[in-house]
Amino acid sequence: MTHDGGAGGSRLGGTAVLVGARDDAPMSDRSRRSARRRAPGSAPARGPGRRRASVVPYAFIAPALILLTMFGLLPILVAAGVSLTDLDIGGLGNPETIRFIGLANYERLFADPEFWQALRTTGFFVVVGVPVIIAVSLAIAVALNTSQSRFFRALRAFYFLPAITAIVAVALIWGYLYNSQFGLLNQLLAQVGLGPVGWLSDPTTARLSVALVAVWRATGLNTIIFLAALQSVPKEYHEAAALDGAGRWTTFWRVTFPLLRFALFFVTVTTLIGWLQFFDEPYVLTRGGPVGATTSMSLFIFQKGFSLNQFGYASAGSLVLFAIIAVVTAIQLRMRSTDD
Amino acid sequence: MSRTRRAIGASAVVALFALAGCGGASDGDDASDAPDTPPAETTTLTVWVMGDSGARLEEALAPFTDETGIEVDVQAIPWDNVNDRLTTAVASGEGPDVTQIGLSHLAAFLEAGVLEDLSGHLADHPNLDPANFPSAVADLNPDGGLFSVPWISDTRVLFYRSDILAEAGIDEPPATWEELREAARTLAARGDGQYGYYIPQWDAPLPVAYTWQTGTDVIADDGSIRLDTPGFREAVDHYLGFYEDGSVPTAGDFDQAAGFVSGTAPMLVSGPYLAAAIREQAPDLEGAWGVTTVPTNTTGTSLFAGSNLGVWTGTENLDAALQLLDFLTDPATQVAWYQATGELPAVTAAFDDPALADDPLVAVYAEQLQDSKPLPVSTAWDEANQALLQALNAIALTGADKEQTLAGLFATIEEINAR
Repeated sequence: MTHDGGAGGSRLGGTAVLVGARDDAPMSDRSRRSARRRAPGSAPARGPGRRRASVVPYAFIAPALILLTMFGLLPILVAAGVSLTDLDIGGLGNPETIRFIGLANYERLFADPEFWQALRTTGFFVVVGVPVIIAVSLAIAVALNTSQSRFFRALRAFYFLPAITAIVAVALIWGYLYNSQFGLLNQLLAQVGLGPVGWLSDPTTARLSVALVAVWRATGLNTIIFLAALQSVPKEYHEAAALDGAGRWTTFWRVTFPLLRFALFFVTVTTLIGWLQFFDEPYVLTRGGPVGATTSMSLFIFQKGFSLNQFGYASAGSLVLFAIIAVVTAIQLRMRSTDD
Repeated sequence: MSRTRRAIGASAVVALFALAGCGGASDGDDASDAPDTPPAETTTLTVWVMGDSGARLEEALAPFTDETGIEVDVQAIPWDNVNDRLTTAVASGEGPDVTQIGLSHLAAFLEAGVLEDLSGHLADHPNLDPANFPSAVADLNPDGGLFSVPWISDTRVLFYRSDILAEAGIDEPPATWEELREAARTLAARGDGQYGYYIPQWDAPLPVAYTWQTGTDVIADDGSIRLDTPGFREAVDHYLGFYEDGSVPTAGDFDQAAGFVSGTAPMLVSGPYLAAAIREQAPDLEGAWGVTTVPTNTTGTSLFAGSNLGVWTGTENLDAALQLLDFLTDPATQVAWYQATGELPAVTAAFDDPALADDPLVAVYAEQLQDSKPLPVSTAWDEANQALLQALNAIALTGADKEQTLAGLFATIEEINAR
């Protein structure tokens, strides 16, 4: 019932695979609708061709599906199993010592103030980071789209540069900018009689500083996505809007913006997941400090798993994070299917 | 069965976090397939060395290869990746023959069961005898046996800027807690942005050393972790006192070498590596700074740190590995290593060599090593120490309520003890 090959269906299906959390509901809704639309006189093909048609799509998705199973589904199942044990470095060396402890890891997790702090910190990053990245990268894309000159093309490369720069180099440079003793930012502030600001040492400021680096890094890629979407908006629409006497502002909000809906959806989903899994910047810039203020869920899991070698406990943490991401993504997919 | 479980554990660890480990340990060529060929000609030992000492270790081992015919394949592992490498090696069952073990990682290595007990080989390799090392190393094998031998030692001493102290009217470096706190206050009063002392926010051993200095241990007689003691509370007050006085920087990214050289933090407790950094960054400061043993309370106990060497359990080159350990712990090799790297010897006899004995800094290090203690060697302690540091920083930096935070810390310790 789902493999009707309708354009809408395959597009949504593509998204579902991409975000790794497939929810059948929106796709079948959509398929049913497109089947209904097409119903009179054009029933799906039947007979010998039908069987081959049902095998071919599977053959095409098989490589992705196998990879997804091996590197997506299987590890999740293994993690789920490990989260019910007390596996640690000793257990890794002597498997006989691994004990099955039921849900004890989860009980400990939900009683662990560090876990709740990491969850709140991640929530903060999501709430601040997602809108900022979308707004900034959309604004830059719109600005870049105003011209095709050599200068603007150079600017485009410039904005993309952070996305392809190694995180360690990024951390080093930003660490120097932010440093409270000899950092450039505080030197500049001192010139105008301000500061010093504890960019990475004041708990609240550190969160914003770390988030700023992540925004700076993520903007380039999302700008390119928005720019591609902007350039695919047919000129005729803008001409028609101009004929109707619409100004630039109206044209953007009434014509361009609605046509960016899919790009917006894609950027929102990927950015949200990115922030929920936020790790690189706090890891290299602050190691989660000061006083745990920038310890995201992923960093918390990493610390438990790879600094303290408590693999069972860390697995429980990653499963909770996985559940949160799955639920948030499912809600987004559902919202999109209803607004279509 | 155990293989499958191990494989499951391995894939869980590798897959779960999706963080690139560094792949398995390279196996080298062990020549294990040819038992009938003379081992001396074909043996290659794989050795893990931490940090950036790889090239220098290769140089230092050239005489060993010349003498024994044993080739050594040195693999340098960045300190940040040590735990990942250990985990992958344990999970895959493929480790090196010999490994350096930073004392902060020793508990994990021991718990993983990857180290060979060497106590049966002392007769043939007298350099490995624990009697050759400071008495502090007795604590490094908490469950008995001899699973590693000291290689490099390291301790913490008080660094001070004699010029700045003299300007402030302090003629002698502080020798007691009270003197330290008062000197720090005086020096911090020099002006805005000037401090008297420095507490690294990542320095987990520091509050433990303060506790030792009150004559209290952090481990109870029954082996459990015990922080709820008057001695620990005294140490906490000492630690927090510097923050209350405004004597120490609150910025987490404060650079101690830069702070010491510029004079913003003219006193601090650190290891021999800081002396090397100062000499490199500010050679003209020579004569304007010094080191001395840590200020005392009831005792003047400092941290014993450094690195040990261990033989990977199940190695097919046990004999060659033991020869290598014997070579590296030989007093002559230890002195040569100090001259090449500035890292202090672990063997007590090496300190008598003129190369070390004539250096006034080394004299202080050697004196402090006599009264120094390693952190408890257990993975439970590693977790407890992180919680301890986190609690102290929360009180000092975010203004968290002291009694409430300490109560929370003690509850966490109870929970760790119970696990």
